Amino acid sequence: MSDAPRWRQDFPILWDEDHYVTRRELAKFLTLGSGTIVAATVGVAVVGDKLRPRGAGPRVRIEGAETLARGSSLLFRYPSDEDPCILVRLADGRLAAYSQVCTHLSCAVVHKEGSRELDCPCHEGHFDCSDGRPTAGPPTRGLPRVLLEQTTEGVFALAVEM
Amino acid sequence: METGRQGTTLFTGICLLIAVLVIIQLWLLGAALDAALSGQSVLALPASIASAVLFAINAGLLWYVFDFDRRRRRVDPDA
Repeated sequence: MSDAPRWRQDFPILWDEDHYVTRRELAKFLTLGSGTIVAATVGVAVVGDKLRPRGAGPRVRIEGAETLARGSSLLFRYPSDEDPCILVRLADGRLAAYSQVCTHLSCAVVHKEGSRELDCPCHEGHFDCSDGRPTAGPPTRGLPRVLLEQTTEGVFALAVEM
Repeated sequence: METGRQGTTLFTGICLLIAVLVIIQLWLLGAALDAALSGQSVLALPASIASAVLFAINAGLLWYVFDFDRRRRRVDPDA
């Protein structure tokens, strides 16, 4: 094989020789892959925030939000009927709304009356009601926040901020 | 131990080391992407610097392999 021309080594007749990968070739491929991963990681660092989907949705009135008592919650759907969300009136009277879909494995988070946390019953994940960040359990990302507008006509959902 | 066998053992070790470093790079890429999606894109910068350092180590190891071959051929042209 050593007397054969270089092209014969690269394109051998026998399948076994064709499938044979030397350690040097493997090291070359791995290093090439390593360079590609660096490029991808740098790409993520450069693009950064633009990766976060930030969809401006329709302006939808949330029924019953004005009369919501402190420490309680209500469920609504936004931006479509297939997107469950939860609205919580905090102890200080502010309103906060989040997607009800847990960022761990997509179970629905629930709120217990008077609690300052949203709880995911599937894997004991907990989120802070005031900002949606994970406080305990497996979730590492906060809940997508629903931007709200409060007017004399009622409370409106404006967009979902991931 | 003869030089050829030493080289075989050495290159197997180097391949394994490069593979481990590539796996760490994949983990860094995943962590950077996860951080960027959760709004902490500032974490992607140290991840890419660490990934670049690992790539430099990989490239250095690959260069060492080819340099080893070159030196060996200089000593024994039939190798």
